[in-house]
Amino acid sequence: MNDKYTDLIELSDFYILSQKFDEAIKVLKKAEKIKKTEPKLYYNLGIAYEALNENNEARQAFRLALKLDPHFASAQEHLDRLIEE
Amino acid sequence: MKQFVVIGLGRFGSSIARALSGKNFEVLAVDRDEDRVKEMEGVVSQAIVMDATDDKALRELGIADFDTAIVSMGETVEDSIMITLALKELGLKHVIVKAKSEIHSKILKKVGADRIVFPEREMAEKLAESLASPKIFDFIELSKEYGIVEMVVPKKLVNMTLRELKLRDKHKVSVIAIKRKVPYSKSDGTTDFKDEIIIGPGGGDELISGDILILLGKNEDVDKVQKL
Repeated sequence: MNDKYTDLIELSDFYILSQKFDEAIKVLKKAEKIKKTEPKLYYNLGIAYEALNENNEARQAFRLALKLDPHFASAQEHLDRLIEE
Repeated sequence: MKQFVVIGLGRFGSSIARALSGKNFEVLAVDRDEDRVKEMEGVVSQAIVMDATDDKALRELGIADFDTAIVSMGETVEDSIMITLALKELGLKHVIVKAKSEIHSKILKKVGADRIVFPEREMAEKLAESLASPKIFDFIELSKEYGIVEMVVPKKLVNMTLRELKLRDKHKVSVIAIKRKVPYSKSDGTTDFKDEIIIGPGGGDELISGDILILLGKNEDVDKVQKL
């Protein structure tokens, strides 16, 4: 179960780096069904949504990442930028 | 280097003073409130406590040597009118004034203001525009007919090259730039992206999801592209 989760997160990194943001969101949604407790999942989701200019969804994802890890500096930076737009 | 004087350090005045200073211009910030002036110390070239309705004090400042004055008096309409009049009489060439109402604006024009701004109204119009068309990021009106629009690339156009799109032939709209988020891996193992701008993209440039197109054309033609 955990292996599959890790694979999906790695795949989402790959998709983000390949600029296939829609695909990244799809695999992250699958990963979320397995585990909802890792901030990186929501951070990646925020990055993919922000890249697609879907800023409401991006804000929500970064907020979830920060709820799980209030010291997640990159998530905070992205959220601040999206709020101040 | 251009020199600016900002009179009135409320929300608008202090923001413009900070922004100009951030662009390395010389800024003199003036307000009659000591606390507001203290907040600007170290931020702008010079910040002084002064009643700008006192035209003798304005003259002593050597106000005519400045290139532009920005008058942003929140409290009273009369003060901004008096100050604008005094600045023009002292020979300041470019006076920008924040207005509160249409009548205020008319009077400011009469006393010589060179430019009148309604920051709240302008911001409200921009916000309304972005809420009405969430895929439009910015719009610059060049004339009544022509404009420059920043628009998220429609899904239908993703993975197509500009040559394939033929926006200029089919819709008489030019793509003058593409804003793109380019992802990269950070040392902590997370991914992030940086903004890249492709100026004057070529026919071979392919659009990807999330690109923002900067389009130039007739408003009605740009509207058609948005609806693709």
